[in-house]
Amino acid sequence: MRRYKLILIMLIIIGNLFGYSVMDRIAGNYTGNLDPRSAAMGSAAASGGNRFFDSLINPANLSFLPGTLGVQLNTTVMVTSENRSLPMYNSFDAYIDDATYVSNSNYYPDISLGAYYKKSMQDIQIAAGLSFYPYLSFDSNYDEQVRNNANSDYNNYPPIIARNSLEGDGTVYAYDLAVAVSYREFISLGLEIAKLSGETKLKRKINWSDQAFDMTSEGELSDTLNTLNRDFDGLKFTIGARTKINSRLGVGFAYTPKIEFDLKGKADGTDLDEAVYIYYARFDSLQNLQISDSLTFADFNSPARLRSGFSWEPRNIMRTYLNCDFEYVWWSDANKIFADVMNYYIGVEHRFSNHLPLRIGFNYQTSYSVEWDSGIAFAQKITEPTFTLGTGFTFMDRFEFDFSLSYCNRKYETLDLFQDSFYDYEDLWANYYYLNLEDRGWENPDTVKENFYKFIAAVNYNW
Amino acid sequence: MKNFVVIMAILFVSLAHTVVQIDLNTASLEEIKSLPISDEQAEDVYYYRYYIDFFSSIYDLRNIESIDQETLLRLKPLIKISHYTDLDETAQRRDEIAYLIERLGSSEGFQEGISDVWEDYLTSSRNINNLTFSEILNLPNTSPLDAAAVMTRIAAGDSISSFRDLRQSQGISYYGASNIRHYVHYQEQDQPQDLYMDYQFKLVDNGYPEDAREMLRESMIRTDSDEQPRIKNKSYWGYFGMENDRISVLNKFRLRYLKDWKAGMMFHSNLGERTLFNSNFDNFIDNGKYYLGYEKQFDLLGQNFIKVYAGHYRATFGEGLVMENTDFWSPRSTGYGFNKRITGIIGDLSRTQEYALRGIAMDWKRNNFNAVFFVSSDKKDAVVYDSNQDGDIGDDDALLSYITLTRRFTNHELESAETFFNNYDNNLNTVGIAPRLDAFEETIIGGHLEYSPLIGTHLGLTAYEATYDRDFIVPEIDELKALLIPDDEYAAEKWKITSNEISALYSTKSIKNDSTVYDRNYRRVYGFDWRTVLGNTSFQGEYAELEVDGKIFKLGDDPKALIISSYTQFENLYLISMYRDYDLDFDNPYARTFSESERYDDTVFESLTYALNNTLLTDMYLNAGQSSAEKGIYFETRYQFHNKITLTRAYLDVWERKSDSRRGIRFEAKLEFRPLHQLRLRPRYKYQLKRAEDDQDRNRSQTDEFEMSFLVYLSNFDKINFGYVYAQVLQPPYLSILSDPAQPGGSDMAQAQTLTHGNMIYVDYTHNFNSNLKVNGNFSFWKCHGASIWDFEDVELDFEQTDRGYKYWFALHSRIANNIFFSIKFKYKEFITRDLEFRLFNEIPEEGEYYFPRVENKETSLRLQLDWKF
Repeated sequence: MRRYKLILIMLIIIGNLFGYSVMDRIAGNYTGNLDPRSAAMGSAAASGGNRFFDSLINPANLSFLPGTLGVQLNTTVMVTSENRSLPMYNSFDAYIDDATYVSNSNYYPDISLGAYYKKSMQDIQIAAGLSFYPYLSFDSNYDEQVRNNANSDYNNYPPIIARNSLEGDGTVYAYDLAVAVSYREFISLGLEIAKLSGETKLKRKINWSDQAFDMTSEGELSDTLNTLNRDFDGLKFTIGARTKINSRLGVGFAYTPKIEFDLKGKADGTDLDEAVYIYYARFDSLQNLQISDSLTFADFNSPARLRSGFSWEPRNIMRTYLNCDFEYVWWSDANKIFADVMNYYIGVEHRFSNHLPLRIGFNYQTSYSVEWDSGIAFAQKITEPTFTLGTGFTFMDRFEFDFSLSYCNRKYETLDLFQDSFYDYEDLWANYYYLNLEDRGWENPDTVKENFYKFIAAVNYNW
Repeated sequence: MKNFVVIMAILFVSLAHTVVQIDLNTASLEEIKSLPISDEQAEDVYYYRYYIDFFSSIYDLRNIESIDQETLLRLKPLIKISHYTDLDETAQRRDEIAYLIERLGSSEGFQEGISDVWEDYLTSSRNINNLTFSEILNLPNTSPLDAAAVMTRIAAGDSISSFRDLRQSQGISYYGASNIRHYVHYQEQDQPQDLYMDYQFKLVDNGYPEDAREMLRESMIRTDSDEQPRIKNKSYWGYFGMENDRISVLNKFRLRYLKDWKAGMMFHSNLGERTLFNSNFDNFIDNGKYYLGYEKQFDLLGQNFIKVYAGHYRATFGEGLVMENTDFWSPRSTGYGFNKRITGIIGDLSRTQEYALRGIAMDWKRNNFNAVFFVSSDKKDAVVYDSNQDGDIGDDDALLSYITLTRRFTNHELESAETFFNNYDNNLNTVGIAPRLDAFEETIIGGHLEYSPLIGTHLGLTAYEATYDRDFIVPEIDELKALLIPDDEYAAEKWKITSNEISALYSTKSIKNDSTVYDRNYRRVYGFDWRTVLGNTSFQGEYAELEVDGKIFKLGDDPKALIISSYTQFENLYLISMYRDYDLDFDNPYARTFSESERYDDTVFESLTYALNNTLLTDMYLNAGQSSAEKGIYFETRYQFHNKITLTRAYLDVWERKSDSRRGIRFEAKLEFRPLHQLRLRPRYKYQLKRAEDDQDRNRSQTDEFEMSFLVYLSNFDKINFGYVYAQVLQPPYLSILSDPAQPGGSDMAQAQTLTHGNMIYVDYTHNFNSNLKVNGNFSFWKCHGASIWDFEDVELDFEQTDRGYKYWFALHSRIANNIFFSIKFKYKEFITRDLEFRLFNEIPEEGEYYFPRVENKETSLRLQLDWKF
């Protein structure tokens, strides 16, 4: 029952902003910005976006796109590495560091496609675009070996007792329509409507090895399989405005209301909408957990966001573009255990005399993980500074190729994914007497270090 | 007819030559379109001028892709290029000094805040003929002799009309004159702009320094059992989940109206602390910095100069013996060159928190006389202990000392952690001493009087009285030991003689043998400073006393401190000689004068974190700002004895620490050999001997460090630098870790001295894409075996003491526009620590014990800085 609660509790909120992490296997990974030009500029594009997929940040960008017809194809590869450590103590029993006990490295490719058409009618320009892209990814993989402590003294391999794994699969795709109207390239208003839909599957497995079965009596061990299958259905709206105050300075705004998903599915065969009572809590100023909320059914939503930004094109011996965005996220509206956060995005593009652009940027985002302590859930804030870099080139005048690389790392504490007491069978261990197979709580949590490398390549064709 | 033809021909030729040429630097788009080029080409020309640069010659058109040679030749007779810029005078000035502003904008720590003053001087320079002696001296890299040389000319009725003229001032050094010229002009000129504003945003993702991390991770729980609980949250680190603390953010805004009015505000949120976004007004008032200042020079029966500051200000006088309020300590702060002090009053927007002064300060200079008065009232953090022994650290308990905390936990947080530690099962360590935020109210009244009978000569008197609303009481020695260290069988050994630096702290209430010696609510420090310039030598010094016996006018009867120095300057040589002698009980929290060692070095605060009753007390050492009590002599020189060989800097310091009479010697010399202009060879040697007089002592050590670097200048100011460092430390052995490797922990083997040695190789590269974009980077690899090596990283400093590792970093500095600077730095570092090395190779895991070979020591860090000046 406890495991159900833990899973269901994490259904509630889309927790992460960067992506493809086991931590977000249930809440999903928001794929974020997909355009490599603005991604290389720290994903700041509320005002200065000039590629089709920048309309996902601010739909008003659409009418500032070049030409009358355009297509953009993006390929994204996210490479992740996760190292999970537990506290290590010296011979004086003092905590000195964390020792990694499991490493996972994965990569996840994605593809997105969009096209737009722009029509000018005297001073009015109307643009519309259609796109298909991954909005939330539930792809994640985690593999952990549980090994016996026998035979490790003489550099032998300790035998595997069990393999623990988490396998997440599925994506919520967006089928997107964006329209924008502008007046004399001075002001533009945009609207984006996206149908969000997808199926996801999550498996949590503990498979005992043949050796483990041999070491224990028949029927004592059995493999574990938990499943969570969900169908997502939702609508996303974004409204945006962008204006050029003068030929150097522009400002833009975009607002995305809270997205509430219709969620259907089963967890281990039980319908998700069956009532489960969950307590929520937050830390007060004395670091004590205070119960602040409760829920009786599974729910899934994404918080409302307001993004504003400016773009500036100063006179510089290299053609230079500066984009800067601020984003306010109403996390508290999603649930009381979160506090609202402000995210920052900044990026620069310099174009050298040979037109080769150098793009560099930075963004600083805050997200939450939902953690569990003594029967109640609480939020833990995680900061994500991201460093971005990119370039591109033009081919045959009309083809534009862009590339970006984003790097983000984060570090947080969490509880053991597969608690030790589950393996507390005396027959399994050569030195059972020395072992203390109890669950580790928050007095000795895991420390998780994650690295995210996101590579995006895109080709645009405009005419 | 013939005449008609001739006349028409002349007319035609004349008309041809009087065709109106279009000035590409001022023409509108329509005018450019009227030229015989396509609309696209015209737009390219127009946008080049608008977004790239004004044309300096018609050949700049070839920088535009769509303009080929043929088009250029076609356009040549139809266009002209005027000298034009849209930059106003301020912007042009900024353009000229951009590289200096960038350098100042990245200075940190000790110089922080001071660079703002220099930047103001850079953007709106002053007439050198109206400057005072102290104003010239306060400029970077100027000496008293340079200032005296300028003032002597002006006082003689002469005026300086140009840099060449300045350079010819008798007694001024080339180095001094070259620095001064950036900050001054020579004739009266109008201020180009009335209002100046600066905004700086800095975000650093570095995490805690290694020593702070170790302090925070030490256990606060001790039981009488051999096995202590192995739980992470028995330390502050684990309890507060400090793995997540990684970002510090600084927002700074300054405003200047003419040269008279100045204002500023700054908010710095350190790791784990509230950001500006999460702060309310009260938090901003308590933890932010802000000021309003007025400065005016006027004639009223002589030359007058007045400064008034309200809010946060910095006050520095003399050699910093009585007053220099900064949280940051810097070794060998001579007051010259890069260790320059700005004396007097300036607005304070530095990260200094604990020693910040908040109130009103006034500075009045008139002819030869200078008077400063300042008053401050602010709450300060302090170490509080359970002096009334009621089992609780409360408002009615006494204070031990000021403290600058690595992370300023709130008092609620501290109390909740202490409750958790105290209530832990079988914990014998009850927290009886702990830091508290805003623990007491400090009210300071102080001033400085100075009289200058001759140019370059002054006599000054500085004094302040700090009154407190709570008592500072340093318990008697046995009680103090028990307060800081658990009273176990090893307690006596743990308290070292050097820890007397703690027992010598100032008390407002002194009790000896159960009777009160004195009882007051203040601390008074006073002293006098002097300087005189004789020929090419400047002599200066400061003497100060901390009043203890209540007799303020009697000299020599109280804890005292003295520093005297001389500075001799030749064209190609300078020599600093310095003598200092500070009493152990001269506990002036605002003393930031020259010292070799950091306060509390080698005391229980530094070396026994694991044994302290409260591990946070290690912050007393880690963030100590105060100069250490020591006596010694110091010599420093720079000598260019050949146009290709320069002794860049060499110093020798021989000193004795007052707390334990430990003697030390430190010598360092850097040489630069320049066989070609583009090639520099830079050897460096450092020698340090600690505990010179006693080779039996545990803390005796001898360090030798060699470095050789090869710097090659490439074209366009690009440069590449290869370097190698070798360091060795000779010291007594640690038996527990260096004995027979076959018997871990055994001590049955004869031991001699231990030599640890470290090697490091590095390469630095700087590439200038153009004047607005620069990238620099570094790769280093080291194998240190516990020896330590300092490394400069762009604008920061890194300390390598790990066993072996490597790192690389790169930084991009972009001048986005004339008034916007953007820089970003990324660093990756991977290393193995000494602890882990021993664990890996010396310790054989016992049967059944978990053994984790993979401890991840990888660090990445990011740093972002944005400066906007308008």
